[in-house]
Amino acid sequence: MTTDNSRKIKRIRGALLQATGALAIIFTLGACTTTTVDEFRQGATGIESHESIVILGRRQGSTYETREEFVNCVGQRVSRGAAGIRVIPEKEFIDSLFPWFEPRTAPLRTADLQVLMEEPLVSQKIADYGIRYIVWVDGQTETSNRMGSISCAVGPGGGGCFGFGSWEDDSNFDARVWDVSSFASVGTISTDATGQSYLPAVVVPIPLIARVEANACNSLAVQLQQFVNGD
Amino acid sequence: MIRVKKLKTVVIASLALFISSCGVNSVVVQGSYPSPNIRQIPLAVGVYYGDELRNFSYTEYSETGKEEYKVDSGLTHIQLFGSVLPAMFARVVVLDELSDATSAGVDAVFAPSIEEFQLALPQKTRLDAYEVWVKYNMRLLAPDGGYIADWVVTSYGKTPTESMRSVESGINDATVGALRDLASNFSLSFGSVPEVRDWLASKQ
Repeated sequence: MTTDNSRKIKRIRGALLQATGALAIIFTLGACTTTTVDEFRQGATGIESHESIVILGRRQGSTYETREEFVNCVGQRVSRGAAGIRVIPEKEFIDSLFPWFEPRTAPLRTADLQVLMEEPLVSQKIADYGIRYIVWVDGQTETSNRMGSISCAVGPGGGGCFGFGSWEDDSNFDARVWDVSSFASVGTISTDATGQSYLPAVVVPIPLIARVEANACNSLAVQLQQFVNGD
Repeated sequence: MIRVKKLKTVVIASLALFISSCGVNSVVVQGSYPSPNIRQIPLAVGVYYGDELRNFSYTEYSETGKEEYKVDSGLTHIQLFGSVLPAMFARVVVLDELSDATSAGVDAVFAPSIEEFQLALPQKTRLDAYEVWVKYNMRLLAPDGGYIADWVVTSYGKTPTESMRSVESGINDATVGALRDLASNFSLSFGSVPEVRDWLASKQ
């Protein structure tokens, strides 16, 4: 009798694991991200080996601010590879040029940059860093369409979760490129990434997360690298 | 006997945990402030931090009127001015008393004070950010205590909510953001305050 029961339990466990595996495969295929990148070129670009760029996040908005982690992600990817560009870290640049690039004081237009560069201490620091382009990244990731519910329970014989949840992430970022030598905007790269994430739970919750912001970062960085190099 | 001892320990530990969970959460604001890159004024100023600024503390109350968060920012304000003022003036002397100004040989005495501090928590505003507003009263006095200028500076800082960020960390970062805003606003607008501008002109 005991042997029969343990066999039954084993069978149920096996079936549950198989179901979980199947769900994981189905939703891994489903948890994809769609990314669109647009480039708008206003002027010629190119960069010498001794020159660098700085990528800064816009933080003037009242409802959101560009996350420092996203800006750092773009910077790290732009500096990678054979065509990598020297990128000055955002925090280092802002602290070094304090108080000129704070949310309240940062130039909003290229004309403001021209006025700012008349300040000898600012122009000297920028020249010391060898900065050719300032890239302003502006955007955010929004989560919407949250659906489903998961309930978990713990008893004397063990615990488990059952249910299903899903949500959609939408990352929208713009990168405006300013040429420091001509005080002109030379172009804008926009990226829009969307993806659906799933969280099925059959005993164990299996997060199937769409890497929306990471894909937006990758796409933006690749395009930005090509843009600045003048490819 | 051993069982009674164990029970006592458990009861005491539970009580301590219960009391600590009911108490006010204290945030001692900590941040680092860069030195501003601005043209230095070739004058000597004394700076006087009153006890109100040194020990400044703000308490945020819950909707039921209980003390929820206590934000201590006096020391970090002194640290901020300690970073900003030496970049603005050729010589800075910290004064224990306002009456020490004449013997310190300074051109003026700067005495900042906090008039108002406001904190907005995401759980109350339903926004995805911690926000801090601070209103300061800045006074510039002659070494003999006479009036030179008196003006108001406001600052604002915010930091977004994140899944792994504690409330204390959010409050700290928003306050540091407000202090950086104060430093940038104060250092860049100092010479534009009409009375200060007249005083600077008289010193040339």
